[in-house]
Amino acid sequence: MELQPYLLLSAITFVIGVVGVLSRRNAIIVFMSIELMLNSVNLSLVAFSAFLGDVTGQMLVFFAMTVAAAEAAIGLAIIISMFRNKQTVNIDDINILKW
Amino acid sequence: MVDQALLSLAKFLPEITLAITFCLALLVGVIFRSRPRLSMWVALLGVVVSIALTIREMGITESVFSGMIAVDPFATFFKLIVGSSAIFIFLFSLYSAEVLSTMKRLVEYSSLLVAMTLGMYLMVGATNLLMMVLSIELTGLSSYVLAGYTKEASDSSEASLKYIIYGALSTGLMLYGISILFGLTGGAMDIYAINRALVTSPVNPIALLVASLLIIAGLGYKISAVPFHFWTPDVYEGAPITITAFLSVASKAAGFAMLIRFFKIAFIDSSAVGLPAGIWITLQGFEWNKIIAILSVLTMTLGNLVAVWQNNLKRLLAYSSIAHAGYMLMGLAILSDKGIAAVLIYFVVYMFMNLGAFYVVMLVSNKTGSEDIDSYKGLGFRSPFIGVSMVIFFISLAGLPPTAGFIGKLFIFASLLDAKWIWLAVVGAINSVISLYYYVRVVRNMFLRDPDENSGPLKFSVPEIVLLLLLVVPTLLFGLYYSPIVDFANASARMLGVH
Amino acid sequence: MLESYVPIFVMIAGGVIFGVVMVKLNEWFGPHRPNDEKLSTYESGMEPIRSARERFSVKFYMVAMLFILFDIEVVFLYPWAVSFKQLGLGGFVTMAVFIFVLFLGYFYVWRKGALEWD
Repeated sequence: MELQPYLLLSAITFVIGVVGVLSRRNAIIVFMSIELMLNSVNLSLVAFSAFLGDVTGQMLVFFAMTVAAAEAAIGLAIIISMFRNKQTVNIDDINILKW
Repeated sequence: MVDQALLSLAKFLPEITLAITFCLALLVGVIFRSRPRLSMWVALLGVVVSIALTIREMGITESVFSGMIAVDPFATFFKLIVGSSAIFIFLFSLYSAEVLSTMKRLVEYSSLLVAMTLGMYLMVGATNLLMMVLSIELTGLSSYVLAGYTKEASDSSEASLKYIIYGALSTGLMLYGISILFGLTGGAMDIYAINRALVTSPVNPIALLVASLLIIAGLGYKISAVPFHFWTPDVYEGAPITITAFLSVASKAAGFAMLIRFFKIAFIDSSAVGLPAGIWITLQGFEWNKIIAILSVLTMTLGNLVAVWQNNLKRLLAYSSIAHAGYMLMGLAILSDKGIAAVLIYFVVYMFMNLGAFYVVMLVSNKTGSEDIDSYKGLGFRSPFIGVSMVIFFISLAGLPPTAGFIGKLFIFASLLDAKWIWLAVVGAINSVISLYYYVRVVRNMFLRDPDENSGPLKFSVPEIVLLLLLVVPTLLFGLYYSPIVDFANASARMLGVH
Repeated sequence: MLESYVPIFVMIAGGVIFGVVMVKLNEWFGPHRPNDEKLSTYESGMEPIRSARERFSVKFYMVAMLFILFDIEVVFLYPWAVSFKQLGLGGFVTMAVFIFVLFLGYFYVWRKGALEWD
């Protein structure tokens, strides 16, 4: 099994995710980018795990998935409470607190 | 396997207590809905029991749950720090106007505080990458919600949103680092196995550097080291003061414990022979202590410089806590048991003085509803006891004798000079001088400026004063009589599997 | 390794080309006689009531959040079920505790009234 293509794909999706978090302004899209990052981590873990013939990596993926779900749920809840306060999900409008 | 798990359970009692307390606090809350305070008492009781059980574990050095978690003096020490600050936070909450104003959510507040404490208990002992990720997440997820606890205030939900975005980003980075490390070491999850793999077969240094930088990003976020600190001032300002105090002490302690354990076990050259006792060296070709030293310089310098410009006291304390993280990072950079012991001493001291400073801010904002430094004008005359206590905490934070803060700094600098890191010690000393400026600014406001016309003296209840004394007395006492904490820290610097 | 995928790529390309060509041929040669009925949105044969581009009630988010949480926990049930025999009684007890904690969460959500629609 060749490892490189999987790692390359994982690195590319991870970078897309990071760039999305840093550049997007809509909080929901930011969270989608974070999910993309976590999923690219899962991909690289599964690839390593299959390459090495060792299932511990896949075990970590199970936990990473649940953690990602919990994070998404809490993120959504916070965005809703934010939206009720300010009627916006745009991160640029979130600016009471600064330096 | 079942027998082994049962044996492990016996060494896992503090954590089990906290887990049960969490469930009980929630259940009590939804069953007795008309009495929300009840669940807070349940939570407080649970934390007290868990501390008692932790004290029973002192001196044990063992690995439980097939290498997932270590129960050793180092972990026990940090559990005591985290547990006692949790108790202080519960006591603060009993008098916090902010927390009590949202009585109907007190159930969630207390149970999430317990969950956060549980997460930190697991963080300080985690010896497996999986456990590290899970415990960081447990701590993080509870704290995201708590930061937005007063959700009617829009800066609170804003703080919460910023916190979770930065938190999720840094967890993602850390997980990616972990996946690289996992691949590099041929499928090792246990940090001892990682070390064995790295020592026996050298790996690509660039990949190792990238992986460790990504992991530092995740842990640096927890201890709010520059450049992963962006969330700190906003969250500290927006969150309820009790939560801010908890984040600044316990969360930082747990992050440090994990950082120290991970780097000290995974990334040192454990095959090196002929080293003096208590000194270790990094892996060949990967001098991570330089990275830590640079981080520490950045952290303390930025923290102190930006703190000078702050007008909100909570924000000022946020930057000062960033700076303190910088001082403590110095202790890790020098690669000696003495440095680690100095960090532990610093944490004991830091707990009392930082919690104390936040407690005073809370008491004053209960009465005046403001955290601006301007509203502290003449506080020394409006309430002399509070004013004097604040001065003591600030002297201690600045690291001047005869307070405990001086002892903390003294041991850090002594271990630096011992290891011939003169330049780092000089940078640290310059930073201490800068920090003096903004602490004195607040003190000047309290004692050298007259209060506003229409502000009378502030009255505080007896329990509030007693609680304050519980923090003031150790801050002064440990400045003069410090040998117990020094002995305790020296005994606690021992980790599982490190000789 | 990628060589073995060549037939699949050919297949995909063939499918795309065939689809596009057929649709375009229809467009070019077929008669165009549009009317209101034909241009309206097809919604399961019902008359469309109003625009679909509107805000959803926040209640949907609530249900979505709860669904995500309870749904994802099933991920642990699969590996447990597969290795149930090897894990034996210990595994069973562990999973029972896990389900019990989930149930506590459910109880909490229910008592908090998060499951009531109105």
